[in-house]
Amino acid sequence: MTTHTVTISNRDGATFEVDARRPLLDTLREQGVDLPFGCKYGGCITCAAKLKTGTVDQRRQVALNNRQIANGYVILCVARATSDITLDIGVESHDKLYRNPFLDPLKPHELKADIATPKEG
Amino acid sequence: MDGACCGPGYASPQEAIQAPREKLLYTIAIYTGTGIQKPDYLATVDVDPESPTYSQVIHRLEMPGIGDELHHMGWNACSSCHDDGSMSRKYLILPGVRSNKLHIVDTATDPRAPRLHKVVDGAEIKAKADLSGPHTVHCLGSEIIISFLGDAKGEAPGGYLHLDKEFNIVGRWENSMGDIKFGYDFWYQPRHNVMVSSEWAAPNTFMPGFDLEEVGHLKYGRELHFWDFEKREPIESFYLGEDGLLPLEVKFHHDPDSTHGFCGAALSTNVIHWWKDSDDAWKWEKIIDVENEMHPEWPIPLPGVMSAILISMDDKYLYLNNWLHGDMRQYDISDPHNPKLTGQVFMGGLLGKAPIVNGVEVAGGPQMFQLSLDGRRLYVTTSLFSTWDNQFYPEIREKGGVMVMIDCDPENGGMKINEDFIVDFGKEPNGPSRCHESRYPGGDCTSDIWL
Repeated sequence: MTTHTVTISNRDGATFEVDARRPLLDTLREQGVDLPFGCKYGGCITCAAKLKTGTVDQRRQVALNNRQIANGYVILCVARATSDITLDIGVESHDKLYRNPFLDPLKPHELKADIATPKEG
Repeated sequence: MDGACCGPGYASPQEAIQAPREKLLYTIAIYTGTGIQKPDYLATVDVDPESPTYSQVIHRLEMPGIGDELHHMGWNACSSCHDDGSMSRKYLILPGVRSNKLHIVDTATDPRAPRLHKVVDGAEIKAKADLSGPHTVHCLGSEIIISFLGDAKGEAPGGYLHLDKEFNIVGRWENSMGDIKFGYDFWYQPRHNVMVSSEWAAPNTFMPGFDLEEVGHLKYGRELHFWDFEKREPIESFYLGEDGLLPLEVKFHHDPDSTHGFCGAALSTNVIHWWKDSDDAWKWEKIIDVENEMHPEWPIPLPGVMSAILISMDDKYLYLNNWLHGDMRQYDISDPHNPKLTGQVFMGGLLGKAPIVNGVEVAGGPQMFQLSLDGRRLYVTTSLFSTWDNQFYPEIREKGGVMVMIDCDPENGGMKINEDFIVDFGKEPNGPSRCHESRYPGGDCTSDIWL
């Protein structure tokens, strides 16, 4: 079994070994990390966390727009670690997850992947 | 409560208006998306002014797990089976929009302290009916139908789940979704064999929050659909265009003979009225258009965002909210083609017109509301949906939701905030929660349909 180390920076740097093939939400909760979640299929961002270092495979998520992805958000219910990673978890990590759409519009390349257009220039 | 002679509810809307005053109110309160790792719950609110615990939460029924996002709810039975003595209005069905679970709650054994009767598993609904994102619950006789906004993968248009009276999954209710692109709310009028359904968006679109840009990419609805209710298939759709962006709540007149109905288009902030004309064709028109307002500090005009509408039991008044502007309005719709504004109050909202109500700082704006059967008391809550709250009213995390009561004058029109009533969900024992839809034990102004 391939494992990676997950460091949670806003839980005093606690570390956990996780199975690389399984979603982070499941492997971290099994080890006692109290995490929010909702739909459990990558559609609703309730479980979003912020990836600070390392890489994940979250191809199954359909909730994040490209700006949220650029800001480091990962959907733990479907994301799998592909290296050792460091995360901020919970709503304390959600500072850039929510925006007022009337005051802070998305640029065309910042929309969700299925409707985004490539960044110009 | 329910009539003495037979089944649940009332023989007619006129009889419902004469029912005793409500003493208890159930409202859902959520922790999903708030940062508090507790289950959502059903709160019992004491609304009996003679009671020592008036205007307080007197019971909390926690759901079995976290992350449901309770939202709307409905009864196992209503006045549609008033003639069936074997039925009773005993169970309240609480869907979890995100978890896909249906919580069946027994409110009859002890109305003050409802208890969980059964949970229909979300995975079972996905497997048997390919549905997710439950919203509106209606009963018809012993059967229950629930609109779901997505398929098992959260893609539109979803469909309708059919449950039997023991809450077993029968399967899909509809025979066809036709060309319908999205689902949301529905209401039916059996004497005219018609159901009308509206459109929000796919769960994968609305659950993460509101990307305004996706409206232009046609990810949000702008149509109303008329169904042959007995054949269970759509037969006609109205494209509402810019006048009908995000057509959400659908209400027919309570009078079962009437063909008049209404829908609130949330983003356009319009009320759409439909009726069957003398040529037997369904017609629609826009009857209320709430103008955008300038925010004191924003460069762009702000839409009202009319997320709910309600028709009084006597069909005389239509109530609507402007969640972002912060006002509740009452219109006299005695002539449904020509509504007249007869009342308006502010509570919260982004325009800063009523930041404090009865001593409580209001985070959010008027959002869901329930009217007493006699039309005199309107209970209003402030949270829309966790992710959308977090975008427009981030302070609701610390302040929680609030329930306000508005005194309404059904004879002469008019609304006024009741100064003796307020429920501050910011002070809940587990931390600030957010209150949403409310219902009364005996049926209310958004639950019952007459055959």
